[in-house]
Amino acid sequence: MDLYGKMAATQDAKGKGEGGDQNFDYMFKLLIIGNSSVGKTSFLFRYADDAFTSAFVSTVGIDFKVKTVYKNDKRIKLQIWDTAGQERYRTITTAYYRGAMGFILMYDITNEESFGAVQDWATQIKTYSWDNAQVVLAGNKCDMEEERVVSVDSGRLLAEQLGFEFFETSAKDNVNVKQTFERLVDLICDKMSESLDTDPAVTTGGPTAKLSDSAPPLQQQGCNC
Amino acid sequence: MDVSSNGSSSIKPQTNPFVNSKLMSSLRASLQKGAIPVSSSNEGSPRPNIFSTLWRPNISNTDDFIPLYSDCIAKACSRTQEYLLFKDPEDKFHPSPEVLTQIFLMTYIGQSLNLNMTDNFNCTVMTPEQRILLGADWVWAVLEKPTKNPRIQIVVQVLHMPDREGIAEDYPPEGRTESLQMAQKESSNKTVCERMVDFCASIGKDCYALFLFLGRKNDTGKIYGVLSNNFQAAVGKCDKIDRDLIENFFKGSRYLHTPTGMLQTITTKKDEEPLTVLIKFN
Ligand SMILES: Nc1nc2c(ncn2[C@@H]2O[C@H](COP(=O)(O)OP(=O)(O)OP(=O)(O)O)[C@@H](O)[C@H]2O)c(=O)[nH]1
Ligand SMILES: [Mg+2]
Repeated sequence: MDLYGKMAATQDAKGKGEGGDQNFDYMFKLLIIGNSSVGKTSFLFRYADDAFTSAFVSTVGIDFKVKTVYKNDKRIKLQIWDTAGQERYRTITTAYYRGAMGFILMYDITNEESFGAVQDWATQIKTYSWDNAQVVLAGNKCDMEEERVVSVDSGRLLAEQLGFEFFETSAKDNVNVKQTFERLVDLICDKMSESLDTDPAVTTGGPTAKLSDSAPPLQQQGCNC
Repeated sequence: MDVSSNGSSSIKPQTNPFVNSKLMSSLRASLQKGAIPVSSSNEGSPRPNIFSTLWRPNISNTDDFIPLYSDCIAKACSRTQEYLLFKDPEDKFHPSPEVLTQIFLMTYIGQSLNLNMTDNFNCTVMTPEQRILLGADWVWAVLEKPTKNPRIQIVVQVLHMPDREGIAEDYPPEGRTESLQMAQKESSNKTVCERMVDFCASIGKDCYALFLFLGRKNDTGKIYGVLSNNFQAAVGKCDKIDRDLIENFFKGSRYLHTPTGMLQTITTKKDEEPLTVLIKFN
């Protein structure tokens, strides 16, 4: 599984590597996780391409898209990994957790089982990712009010218990999609500047080594994002 | 960078022949195991008694997709072969590997929709990013009845004639290029063949890697393949898994399955058993 581990570890956050558009200040690796069919791929499709399709094509393994956002004159490149929810891909998907700075943990408000699995997904994050990874819980398909089986309150409560931010979203009607990503980016920025203020060692060594690549620019300028 | 989305590793020199021959013999052992004639694959199973047939009229036909699959493959192969064999008097047409793959796949998918077969057997085409990350062009899956989750998967990578690999791909639309380059960069330490083998191994023995050759040396129109859930046995035993290594499977091989035989073999096989088969698609 070394291969996937290597893939997950980000290269130069300053984009000095060959290939790709080098015009960015930071690169954040984000992962979308959650049960199959909750709407992860649709959510990313809506965010990156502003499109939605009602056909369901279950993701094979892993996929990603790139999107650049601007924050206080800084260009942040988001490398957003769309993981397959099916159990059979667990080995490959968890191998990508390692380099991730943020997660969108998604369930479907019309599917009790997907909500019940949130705790397990949270444990997966704890097991396989960096301690400082930020998580937003997203209750997707909020356009389907009539089929709702998970109340807003139970979603919010669970998020509180897990220490995650919370949104109800709809990839279909484009509700809170952009907001979810923006909030996650904010959280990552906050965490980075916080870590640097209190303990510069946090960003060096171990699985976080790659994150430290972005430390120097942050240190010079502070995270004014 | 030795990686392209279509397995350009074929131009690499042969890996250590000694290591390879040892490897080949160990792989052949599992190959022969799998190379049972199609007709024998159902012999062990008891005949369904009359009651079970009455009670479960549909379930006994779960392998109905096999002849349909065979039909789709026949269409896809004959269409693709027309292009593979096309003799251009002015030498002006040079279909790229990408185009040939698309012709095969579009014909296959078109026919599978015509035959309405996607209920128990589906085909998922990879995105350009997935093609690089996972080394796969598409994935066929035998689906479980109620859940529609894959029960058996065949992850396919197309290998083209070496002289075609040099033909430039169309430029992907702007914006896409960037993520493709990123994907390349993230996976440059393995050949595209190895990436697919790793991916299949991460899923388990019910996931097969199929290397599909469009054209063969001295027989440009031939479409054939090697399918195995055990290619990872080669990892560590030889320098790299690439086209040369895969092609070696055909040297001195005794038995070639039909597409039907391939599916029958893998749908009746016991779990967890290693299996390698060679397939003649046209
Ligand atoms: N009504 C509604 N349907 C949605 C929404 N988001 C996704 N869907 C539908 O739900 C189904 C599953 O969506 P996907 O995005 O493919 O699910 P996924 O989480 O990526 O599933 P896996 O790839 O198997 O893990 C599709 O049919 C989508 O059209 C939403 O916000 N509202
Ligand atoms: Mg998906």
